[in-house]
Amino acid sequence: MSALAAPIFGDRYRVTAPATVNHPVPGPETFESIVDDYQRRLYGFALRMTGNREDAEEIVQDAFVRAYRALAKMDPQQRAELRLQPWLYTITLNVTRNRLRSKRPTNVALDALADPDALLNETQDGPDQPEQIVDRAADMILVEQALLQLPMHLRAAATLRFIEGRSHPEIAEILNQPIGTVKSHVHRAVRILRRILGPQVGRIVQNDRPITEEEE
Amino acid sequence: MRCYDVERLWDEMRDGVEPRSEHVLAHLRGCVECQEIYRENAGIAYCLTCLPPVEPPGRLVPKILEHIKATVKIVAPDSVATVESPIGKLFVGFRHTGITAIALDRGEGEESVLARLQRRLGRGLIPSQAPQWVRDTVEAFFRTHRPDLERVDISELTPFEQSALRAAATIPPGEVRSYGWVAEAIGQPTAARAVGRAMARNPVPLLYPCHRVVDATGALHQYAYGVELKARILALEGYHPVRR
Repeated sequence: MSALAAPIFGDRYRVTAPATVNHPVPGPETFESIVDDYQRRLYGFALRMTGNREDAEEIVQDAFVRAYRALAKMDPQQRAELRLQPWLYTITLNVTRNRLRSKRPTNVALDALADPDALLNETQDGPDQPEQIVDRAADMILVEQALLQLPMHLRAAATLRFIEGRSHPEIAEILNQPIGTVKSHVHRAVRILRRILGPQVGRIVQNDRPITEEEE
Repeated sequence: MRCYDVERLWDEMRDGVEPRSEHVLAHLRGCVECQEIYRENAGIAYCLTCLPPVEPPGRLVPKILEHIKATVKIVAPDSVATVESPIGKLFVGFRHTGITAIALDRGEGEESVLARLQRRLGRGLIPSQAPQWVRDTVEAFFRTHRPDLERVDISELTPFEQSALRAAATIPPGEVRSYGWVAEAIGQPTAARAVGRAMARNPVPLLYPCHRVVDATGALHQYAYGVELKARILALEGYHPVRR
């Protein structure tokens, strides 16, 4: 995979539809609301990519600074035509990539990933039994660990596809890759995950819920 | 359809729009191995969607905004207006502290001129009407050739650029000086080339008279809008280069 050096003013992020009230033209004046709207998504993405909360936080901060600088330099037409979401993801991915490249992959703080509070506070099916909670937390750590073992470009594809539920064209835009490449990366990511997680997948799924028709 | 293709199409099948889905399904009905792969893949996808939602740390938004404030100089956009002049329509950028930029249309169209101005200033431009003081300042340049520089804001430039432009502004209308002269005037006699660069980057031509700076031989050298215009502006000020 080629290094992604996205030109900030490239045509990739141009929109044809005009900005609306709900999506005002991005710019330094509206930046606070942009940060507000996107920090959660970008932080989540950075965390899945790095497996480390501190890294994710710094990556998001850097990404927003870069976005701010770039927006400040754009003229009104460039701003009006900007496709904000994929553009912000691309910046976040670039910052992540630079950071991970300069950092030797050490043991990541896996325990920081699956938020214990979030796990304990899950109430959708009534309170879980204590041992189920432990099982589930352990399972989620397994999944996170497996994801972090993927090469970065496959991890990005799998995260965007399965965790964020994005379409192939959306991912292609964010990663600046042809759709065919995205599909192939998703495919390879799943293959590797299948190899890593193997039989545990069946157990996790079974523990979690009865098999529904959807899966049959 | 072969197992290889069927496996590759699993993700597309999830979207329900795969045109070959009939064939994939037909294959799956008869192939236990592919069924197993599909089941495992669905399990993988399910596991990934089960990962607990990520909560950003508290106060991330204010932290980000503070970080931006600390690392980026936040600048409000300037206003920009057009002012008619003897050498054509001028695009004048200004803020309450003074005029920050002047540009001419080189035949490229208004949008490109504004984009160029914006790049030079590194901040946004909001189209507006020229207030009286802006029109007065520009008009004063063409009438007396000595505009009120209190109404021109070059504080965003580097200290070197600022001193070079201030030195250029001491050249009386109707006269010219060399890049070397300006370099001497600011106490850096070896910096003639740097002076040339500072003149070339002058965001407020005319008001800060970079057009009065020429090369050591008296040749007009260069001008952002062409040497011809440089000669024309100098002629308006009463300077006529000696024919040599």
